[in-house]
Amino acid sequence: MPLNEPITPGVVDWTGENPGILLKNEDGSFAAMALFFRVTWSPVGQGQILLLYGTPDQVQGTVQAPNMILSDNPALTAYLKQNFISKLAAFSNAPAFNSLPEVTAQVVRTSGDPMGHRYCETIVAADLTVELVWEQLEPPRALELTPDQVGTGEHTMFTLLVPANAAQIIVNGHALPGQLGSRVQAGYETTTAFLYFSETWVIPSEIT
Amino acid sequence: MSRTAHNPGRVDWSGENPGIYLKIDPGNVAYDTLALFFRVALSPYGRGNAAIVLGTPNEARGWPHVPNLIMTDNQRMMRWIIDGWVTKMPTFVGKAGLGAMTWLDCDSVEKRPGDLKSRYSETLRGSGVTLEMIWRDMGPPLPVEVTKENSATKEHEMYSVFLEAKSAQVKINGTALPGQVAERQFFGRTMSTAFLAFSETWVTPSQKESPHAFE
Repeated sequence: MPLNEPITPGVVDWTGENPGILLKNEDGSFAAMALFFRVTWSPVGQGQILLLYGTPDQVQGTVQAPNMILSDNPALTAYLKQNFISKLAAFSNAPAFNSLPEVTAQVVRTSGDPMGHRYCETIVAADLTVELVWEQLEPPRALELTPDQVGTGEHTMFTLLVPANAAQIIVNGHALPGQLGSRVQAGYETTTAFLYFSETWVIPSEIT
Repeated sequence: MSRTAHNPGRVDWSGENPGIYLKIDPGNVAYDTLALFFRVALSPYGRGNAAIVLGTPNEARGWPHVPNLIMTDNQRMMRWIIDGWVTKMPTFVGKAGLGAMTWLDCDSVEKRPGDLKSRYSETLRGSGVTLEMIWRDMGPPLPVEVTKENSATKEHEMYSVFLEAKSAQVKINGTALPGQVAERQFFGRTMSTAFLAFSETWVTPSQKESPHAFE
């Protein structure tokens, strides 16, 4: 629940949407990972970015399962890689993180209903179309997390979580292999497919 | 008070909700132009876009007689938001134009965010109307979290990121509506009456959390 002080002490790092899909192999390792950003405010402007690990255990992906970034704002890509994604172990520890090729996202399209059955983000580059599909959606939950409860370990974070119980990462019409897993966020067991809306990352004033 | 990681309340809607309130005379209490934009990413009635403009807030007439109108691509969602939120906001309470405004279909919405500092605009087109809302000279983003007692509706908790704008305009078919940006007391400080509002979420508090739930 909100605190009594209306303005949260600290500096906004960025705000927007940050859905993702993490698919796992039977041995628990990651089979494919996708993290999407629709940023409405950052110090380097708005933008939409897809971080895709089609082959997360390799530096080089394949044509069918590429490791790459699709972005319509390269400055935002650099800002998020340096200040945010590099602090999320699941993504920054991947062998391809430091050498991910970046291509221009020419079209980004949203469809479906996050309070309905299905929601989809479609990101299109020159010869690559990636569809992220979330299904069997649960009701939204408002979260307020402290630095010890977030992946970066540095931010106060407000967000709206819509868990999905089914999801696919589709690259040029072919679904990448893997199954959803489970994870725990601030004591709540949820899945590795998630929509996050109205997500705000704040650097607390004691750090700034 | 410490934070509760999982807000036990019911999420109502979430999205963007910037506004522009203008006065011809800054000394007046009442506003001469009221405008709110909505880009709703999540609600029980789906997603959608809308803008409410009351160019003559106290007149019970609508467009084209007076500039009181709403443009939207999701009327059902907006009727729910107007009933549950806008009619309860102090700035809009009792405004005859709100009930009399003309409902227009919106065919397109175009955002021009620029650098998020010098100029930001939303343009809605449809039903023979082009509506522009323009914000200029934005300040830094302020993270906002508001209790039920402090919120505009007095019924909901609210999270958002606010950016004040030093100047703003509302234009219908190229003609600017009257008034200038003024100041008001908001969130415990003096703030501009033109603002961007990103990542805004409204939550109905859980009755289990209310000390008056069993009275």
